[in-house]
Amino acid sequence: MGRAIVRHIISKVPSLLLFLLLGLPMIALLLQWLVNGDDKSALLSFIGRETLFLIGKSLLISGIVALLATFMGTVCGFILYKMRLAFTGFYKMALLLPLLISPYIFAVAWKDGLFWLFGNNAAFYSDSGVILVHTLVFFPLAMLIIGSALSRIDASYEEAGLMVIPFGKMLLKIVLPLIRSAITISFLLILIFSLSDFSVPAFFGVRTFTTEIFTQFSALYNFPLAIGQSILLLVICLLLMLAEARYLSDAPFFSVSVRGSMSKKYAFQKRQALFHALLWLLLIMALVLPVFMLGTQSLTGSILFFREAWILMGPAVLQSIKLALCGTLLITSVGLWSAYVKVRLNNWLPNVLLLLTFIVPSTVLGIALIRYYNLPVLNFIYGTALILLLAYLGKFGFIANRIIGNGMRQIPVSLEEAALIMGIPSWKIFVRINLPLLIPSLFAAFVLSFILSMGELGVTMLVYPPGTELMPVKTFTISANVPEALTSSMTLINLTVALVLITLFFLAGKWLFKKFQYA
Amino acid sequence: MPEIILEHITHCYGDKEVLNDFTYSFEQGKTTCLIGPSGCGKTTVLRLIAGLETPSSGVIKIDGVKVSEKGSILIPPHQRQVGFVFQDLALWPHFSVYKNIAFALADKKDTNIKNKVFEWLELFGISDKAKKYPHQLSGGQKQMVAIARSLILQPKILLMDEPLANIDTHLKERLLLHLKDIQRQQQFTMLYVTHDHKEAMNTGDCLVVMNAGRIEADGSKEEVSLSSSEFVKSFLKS
Repeated sequence: MGRAIVRHIISKVPSLLLFLLLGLPMIALLLQWLVNGDDKSALLSFIGRETLFLIGKSLLISGIVALLATFMGTVCGFILYKMRLAFTGFYKMALLLPLLISPYIFAVAWKDGLFWLFGNNAAFYSDSGVILVHTLVFFPLAMLIIGSALSRIDASYEEAGLMVIPFGKMLLKIVLPLIRSAITISFLLILIFSLSDFSVPAFFGVRTFTTEIFTQFSALYNFPLAIGQSILLLVICLLLMLAEARYLSDAPFFSVSVRGSMSKKYAFQKRQALFHALLWLLLIMALVLPVFMLGTQSLTGSILFFREAWILMGPAVLQSIKLALCGTLLITSVGLWSAYVKVRLNNWLPNVLLLLTFIVPSTVLGIALIRYYNLPVLNFIYGTALILLLAYLGKFGFIANRIIGNGMRQIPVSLEEAALIMGIPSWKIFVRINLPLLIPSLFAAFVLSFILSMGELGVTMLVYPPGTELMPVKTFTISANVPEALTSSMTLINLTVALVLITLFFLAGKWLFKKFQYA
Repeated sequence: MPEIILEHITHCYGDKEVLNDFTYSFEQGKTTCLIGPSGCGKTTVLRLIAGLETPSSGVIKIDGVKVSEKGSILIPPHQRQVGFVFQDLALWPHFSVYKNIAFALADKKDTNIKNKVFEWLELFGISDKAKKYPHQLSGGQKQMVAIARSLILQPKILLMDEPLANIDTHLKERLLLHLKDIQRQQQFTMLYVTHDHKEAMNTGDCLVVMNAGRIEADGSKEEVSLSSSEFVKSFLKS
């Protein structure tokens, strides 16, 4: 009986707290809009022609990005996860880096690069600039999702197919249907990410629905319209969420497996050079060129720009790391708890809340948090870094939840039951059995949340409290008013910090995964 | 006196009924083999006796004490003096062989843990594997660790859910003989689930043949082999 009560408390009380902290702001936004009858014209104007045009345009841009990135990800996924190729570890790591670096850094880099190459980058300040940067930033996500799905296909399925049909046909008839859900997931996720991203369209001066909401809210102070538009975007994302319910619940890329793969790998000896060339081309476009361009543009000024950039960025670096670290600890803890209550106690509420705040565009989440917490009584949250931590939790809690949840699903219940029969208390089973087995998943969730929190811009721009200096915000806000070389230098510092941290995490991860490889 | 009694047990997983009015008494100190095709409810019987599942209806008694009844677990698993060898063995992958076996004793504040663990390891001839991790063991060695772990707390009942399914016949026979020896010394009741009727004939003192959540035949090997049930006849022939 006592055990049941404890399980009930563990499951329900934090759920309520999470609902009050993150769920209620979204509901309050909706209610505020519904009951606000003062300005009917503003309320209705959000469904005008202009709005519909912007929605259509945003969906078209994001749709193209999702298509291109998913296609590139499928090709790379196949090469890296299904072929016996030298240096696959290096390629996987290097091609994943763009995903871990804030999209606007790439926007700055490519803008610099085109200027350096052609002396003119005007053409880049358009929809095509957004499509190029988003595709290059998001295709690694598709590669990861589809690659994971490919590596989970049992070798025997393909071998049985190869006994009766040629290789090409086997890929089409057996492999492709088996990874169909992974392809759908990547398409949907990239669509949502691209639709939600505020930084790249804003940087290139491209009007999308997300930038429009930001402008209405922050520049024109037209709150009813901004809220109305936010609701509309919320509805679009909720519709996409329905698709998630079908496909994303067991998304393979959110898993960290400590077991070896049983999938079939192909050699294609004669085409190895071609595949290496293809991977290098992508690597150059997605990583080498942007970094090189950024460096070159920084050096076109003088070394003084670097000094100035460091003076400007110095305090922001430490504060960014500190806040990202606090946010990540919160995200990982909530991720662990919410995964546990979903997988073991069948409480789905925290999952739904985290999914909702994850797919809602940053601008909408930011507005919801501001409207909810901007009260004198809640100033201890609104006026401090706590609001940022909540924003990070809202944006990335779902990722941690899924990584840890899938890790937990890999732990057979019988491991817990074996201890239960022996009379080991529940808390000890959790601490001694579950936690050690979850370490790889916890680490992956921690690293991903940390890097993403460090580079988050969309919601941070809206909610960061006075006196807080953060790397992405600093670079973004200053870029319009300083020489381009200074912006590039600041971005390069931003990128270097991210790369150093990623390398450190990679080394720590290598050690950790080796230590916790049990299969 | 019968040690384990299941009276009119019905059990459902969601809408699916896996046990239907199952009534049986398992005799003390004997080995009863539960046999039947996959999905007939054999594992569920073990899990109900262990207290890992709550019966949808009916009563379970161990040594005359009601341990489970409709919708509730009256005595939690660890107080039933039951050992369970799971089908997947459920060895904790992050613990060494020694730790896997000692873990339960450590929680009971036992002062003689090391000796007890090595006693069991020696009994199974795997004391040299004490520092190894489960993934470093062969299939047979893993089975021995799982059995040793389930016996270390000296249970009155040992529940075995097809634990020897994936090892070769020779090793299986050796392990079963070994287990029988231990059973004679420790005097525990053993319930052994298998879908292999030949293995059941060699292992069990009594047999229970199950089909679709019901008992088709039960009794001694001879009684079961003379059963008039068509299902039992075809199952034993297969």
